[in-house]
Amino acid sequence: MSAFIETRGLKFAYEDADGVRHTALDGISLSFERGEFTAILGHNGSGKSTFAKLLNMILIPDEGEIYVDGKLVSSHEEPDEDTVFEVRRRVGMVHQNPDNQIVASVVEEDVAFGPENLGIPPEEIRARVDGALDAVGMRKYALSSPSHLSGGQKQRVAVAGIIAMLPECIIFDESTSMLDPSGRREVMDTILKLNRERGITIIHITHEMEEAALADRVVVFSEGRVCLDGKPGEIFSRAEELRAVSLDVPQSTALLYELRGLGVRQLPETPDAGACARHIRDELLRLGALPLHGGDANG
Amino acid sequence: MAEIRLEGVSYTYGRGTPFEAHAVKDLTLTIEEGKITGIIGHTGSGKSTLVEMLNGLIKPDSGRVMLDGEDIWADKKKLRSVRFRVGLVMQYPEYQLFDETVRADIAFGPHNMGLSEEETDERVREAARFAGVGEELLDKSPFELSGGQKRRAAVAGVMAMRPDVLVLDEPAAGLDPKGRASILSGIREYSGATGASVVIVSHSMEDMAAYCDRIAVLADGGLAMYGTREEIFARRDELRAIGLGVPLITDIAYELSSLGVPLGDDIYTVRGVAESIAKLIKERER
Repeated sequence: MSAFIETRGLKFAYEDADGVRHTALDGISLSFERGEFTAILGHNGSGKSTFAKLLNMILIPDEGEIYVDGKLVSSHEEPDEDTVFEVRRRVGMVHQNPDNQIVASVVEEDVAFGPENLGIPPEEIRARVDGALDAVGMRKYALSSPSHLSGGQKQRVAVAGIIAMLPECIIFDESTSMLDPSGRREVMDTILKLNRERGITIIHITHEMEEAALADRVVVFSEGRVCLDGKPGEIFSRAEELRAVSLDVPQSTALLYELRGLGVRQLPETPDAGACARHIRDELLRLGALPLHGGDANG
Repeated sequence: MAEIRLEGVSYTYGRGTPFEAHAVKDLTLTIEEGKITGIIGHTGSGKSTLVEMLNGLIKPDSGRVMLDGEDIWADKKKLRSVRFRVGLVMQYPEYQLFDETVRADIAFGPHNMGLSEEETDERVREAARFAGVGEELLDKSPFELSGGQKRRAAVAGVMAMRPDVLVLDEPAAGLDPKGRASILSGIREYSGATGASVVIVSHSMEDMAAYCDRIAVLADGGLAMYGTREEIFARRDELRAIGLGVPLITDIAYELSSLGVPLGDDIYTVRGVAESIAKLIKERER
């Protein structure tokens, strides 16, 4: 396996109005495989968003390097324009606020904006726009005005705009945090579909533990460093360490964790409501804490 | 302390244009005195319009907004005092911080109310305590604070007016879990200590279950449900039908009940459900 994106010892500090430097990233070395879906968690101010901005070359690191597809693209030296252009096409980014990233007054024109800037011939743009709108389930809104769309729909349009540039990786920087529950679900379904059906590498920055549980891998940032990195089940079994860095675990995992001292076995994965309830029922039967009745008790 | 009653209020955006849309339609709701009321509903259900009606930022096209039995629009000269009594914290309020220091920012409201320096100072310290803004932050520039600290400073600015009704639109959005818990418990403390009524708009069913005494569910500009969290979250299927849901822990509790596991009354917090199950395990000998 080859890493699609690799970062080595990334460091970055912001300078405040008095010229005092504040460390945002303090040596981040991570690699992301092609087709991998990674969720990044971390408290406010842990450096998650700074990391995303470095990957997208909105910022350049003070120290360390970023490699995309094996090629050095970013270091402390000012990058050349072609490299920035190339990286932004291959590694797209969806931001937090759905209202801040739509540029056109018709959905399909907004989606066409990226490929037009790449100098793609018109007939191919047409095909790409249609394909991208299909991929996010927004084709029937192609001629609508973005201002009449819900937050989840606007984010899907923003995703389509990126897909039209045929990226290999998409970074979602808290792109679900301003949405209502159904908007979140729409965006998460879109992420999973792009990852599974098109093999697009996903880096999803979020505060929602339930969303992170859907990823292949969870990376936890704290104070500008990586403090945990593993499969969601492994990460969420470490409730105390997560709470120590201002995070939490999904309620299903939290419930099992509360019961661990009483002989209830933990699960390797983060279960949904039904699986969690069935596991607890089975454990209660095993522990003799539930009278056996009916035919549904198969221990 | 105060009660707000919305009586059959309606509001339409863009009246007379092709984009005319009913934001709120014939809605009647009482914000009960001293209670924390949660408002939930999907985007476009009318939540923000409702919130802006509570302190007179939006005037309903029809219907009345009654603050302690008085129509707030009856005498326009009194509207200013309504806005002091009903404090509104908008979404992402940290973008509205503007003063040189956090202290000056929090003091802006009390100053505007014409309070003395001493009183203002006391209000600032009290509000900072409720909102979880540490003393050491008060003399810093708001721009030096972290996202979570800025949010708390903005909430403190409204608390410093000591409103009888504190209305917050998504106060915890975008914060990490610890930040969410800290701001929401500060709001509850404010209500407990001052007797103020509180209205919280949120997308998080978990937060609603953990912090609210009453829940109002909006759908298509109308009131779809109103009641205690027990009453609201018992209607799981209806909530799902309008694109909402119940907290994950409540979902698990319902699944457990259907599998024949008896639980206690608190099926809204992890601790409550864990205690019921722990009791079953500990009592198995008997």
